[in-house]
Amino acid sequence: MIEITTHQNYYIAKIKFAEANMEQSDLFKQEIINELDSGHTHILISFENVNYIDSSFLGALVTSLKHAMAMGGDIAVYGLNENISQLFELIRMNKVFKVFKDLPGSYQAGWIA
Amino acid sequence: MIVKKILLVDDDRFILQLICRALVLKGFICFTANSVKEALEILYEHVPDIILSDYSMPEMNGFEFRKVILTDNKFKNIPFVFFTSFADEELMQKGLDMQAIDYIDKNTPIALVVSKLNNILDTIRKQHEKSLFEIGAAAEALNLRSVPLDSPAINGFKLNFLYQTYEHYPGGDFIDFITIDENNTFVILGDVMGKKWGAWFFSFNFLSYIRSAIRLCVFDGNLSPASILNKINRIVCLDPVLGDVLSTLSLIRIDKTTSSVYYAGAGDLPIIFYQKSERKTSTIQSNGLLLGIMEDGLYEEDVLKLANGDQLIVVSDGMIDFEEYEGKKTDYILFLNKLKPVLGREDTYMQIKKKMFSDNKKRAVVDDRSLIFIQKVEEHC
Repeated sequence: MIEITTHQNYYIAKIKFAEANMEQSDLFKQEIINELDSGHTHILISFENVNYIDSSFLGALVTSLKHAMAMGGDIAVYGLNENISQLFELIRMNKVFKVFKDLPGSYQAGWIA
Repeated sequence: MIVKKILLVDDDRFILQLICRALVLKGFICFTANSVKEALEILYEHVPDIILSDYSMPEMNGFEFRKVILTDNKFKNIPFVFFTSFADEELMQKGLDMQAIDYIDKNTPIALVVSKLNNILDTIRKQHEKSLFEIGAAAEALNLRSVPLDSPAINGFKLNFLYQTYEHYPGGDFIDFITIDENNTFVILGDVMGKKWGAWFFSFNFLSYIRSAIRLCVFDGNLSPASILNKINRIVCLDPVLGDVLSTLSLIRIDKTTSSVYYAGAGDLPIIFYQKSERKTSTIQSNGLLLGIMEDGLYEEDVLKLANGDQLIVVSDGMIDFEEYEGKKTDYILFLNKLKPVLGREDTYMQIKKKMFSDNKKRAVVDDRSLIFIQKVEEHC
């Protein structure tokens, strides 16, 4: 469901499917939480393959963020297409998640662009 | 027409192509796999409405595939049909014992295979609708409603709403109107993130908190939607049951005496404001975050003074989801452009109902969706 790679001092979780919806949301959340629990506390989620995201999946994303924050970690997002980027702005998810157009350099008490 | 998704599994590529072509002509979306391994990879990305699988395949055969499917809660209820040239009664019995719905002989003419699959899906759909209807009737009997039967009459305002379920499932959208005195009415539109029953169930928790918060604030003389939102959010953040559940909320107070509307929102879509005097459509985006994300939800209030003929439209996110040939997409601008031509008319509400909520629009719906329409009109004496 996600492909994990490392970049600088954080992890990139690349979503492998195009439609991020209710069918995937539980498993996705579980996989991200497993990564967090295994010590990978700073994760950049890559949406490069994703064309559409529904509210269930957004909910899973926020729940994962809350889990990360509770353990002193953070989750940011990257590679949003135009429609998803517009949705993030419309419902203020861009205030909840740090949104990157380019891969951030590193994480040092905050994401460094 | 309801689009049906099928997963075809067969190591014979020719047969796969042949059946797939016939099914696509009948409106199916086909996923094809040459092996069980490939089929499982597809399943993790696309959950089909039905699986048609060959029995005899190298590495893992159809029975082994069925065994794997039965151990996975996500897949075990997908109707499974065996498709094989083995006319062996013992094998057929073994397949049916593994809760396969049916067995189709490969010598069956393709048209008949398609009809048989269609019949299976139709029967399941009818049974499913019957169950949904029964649950809906039970909820109705218990007076469990996340959407009211009607909107209140407010002298000097037109207030209407439209709501549509997603494939007959109730969803996370909730609507309510609370008239607190002869001058003030609160309008509530929220959407619990998620779909179907889970979201529907939690919509009652959110509605209960919202109703209580409004009443308690009103007792204290506090009529500010932003302040009420702040209180609701703090309660939701502390509620362990709602810990992982998030909701949007548009909260509006209509003040009849001043013809004003006070609006605050939590992760909701911008509301649409049509001003008749300038024939101008604008959007008003609130500042607040989704309920339940963090204790400081950054809620602020907008005040709009409405003149006769001015209109306000409040929507849930299901309104901006579109199913197109290339796939699903979320597009607020597209929604706005569809809405603009009917704004500012005498019959705006009826036009929205006709253009966006008619039966032939249901096919493109991908979530439950709601719309609230408010218009300032002449006051009756």
